[in-house]
Amino acid sequence: MASVQQKILTDTEVIRTVLDGDQEAFAVIVERYQKGLANYIFHMVRHYEESLELTQEVFLKAYANLSSFDSAYKFSTWLYKIASNHTIDHMRKQRAPESPIEVPDDEGGGTYELPLESHGQSPHESLAMKDMMGRIREAVEELPSSYRELVILRHFNFRSYEEMAKITGLPLGTVKNRIFRARQMLMERLKDVR
Amino acid sequence: MHCRKVLELLPKFIENDFSEEERAAVEAHLKECEECRLEFEAMGRLVDTLESIPPIGVPSSFKEAVMRALPAKKPPGEK
Repeated sequence: MASVQQKILTDTEVIRTVLDGDQEAFAVIVERYQKGLANYIFHMVRHYEESLELTQEVFLKAYANLSSFDSAYKFSTWLYKIASNHTIDHMRKQRAPESPIEVPDDEGGGTYELPLESHGQSPHESLAMKDMMGRIREAVEELPSSYRELVILRHFNFRSYEEMAKITGLPLGTVKNRIFRARQMLMERLKDVR
Repeated sequence: MHCRKVLELLPKFIENDFSEEERAAVEAHLKECEECRLEFEAMGRLVDTLESIPPIGVPSSFKEAVMRALPAKKPPGEK
């Protein structure tokens, strides 16, 4: 069982527990990474329901391949690499058009508000911030996917450059150059709101 | 240092990823060039705002759904 005690175990220790036969301990891994992975995937595919499905598939893939995880490496990097490969494969198969964010409601028509987490602003601040954030989010969505992925990993998921290089399989120098270039592109696109 | 070179280096400054030589040259330029200084400040605000965008929420049932979808109880390391 995923006990309170397991919550203070390192990822590697939790994985050892799962590999030793305690399947329920995998819930600790899901709990720790569900939000980060879902956000990363959401910003890549730009569809809420689809991002949740892909996030679930990433966890299932990770579980199926858990025995191949090398504890000499950081588990989060390994997990995000699975997510990156899986999401990019999915996008290639879909040949996803560069379309605006699509968030269908339960009926399948119209849109609903994204379930964003509150940061405790007043309603007025919240509205202004929401507008600004919406513009920035759109500008990120419009970046070419190879740049978008890095911005998401860096600024939404707070991954280090070294981790980003391992996750994407790009040389460290390329990661840095692309993220710097991506910021310049964002600045260009947001000239009127800054 | 010219504005063009400074603007190329600004994204690195946001990350504090620069050589001492670059730092001194960019700082000296920013003291004198208001346009580049405004650009530098705008990029700082962009990064701050990017990083304050709230994450999307995950349904409370998500974890249970993943756990239910795991294959029948066989440790993944077991052949």
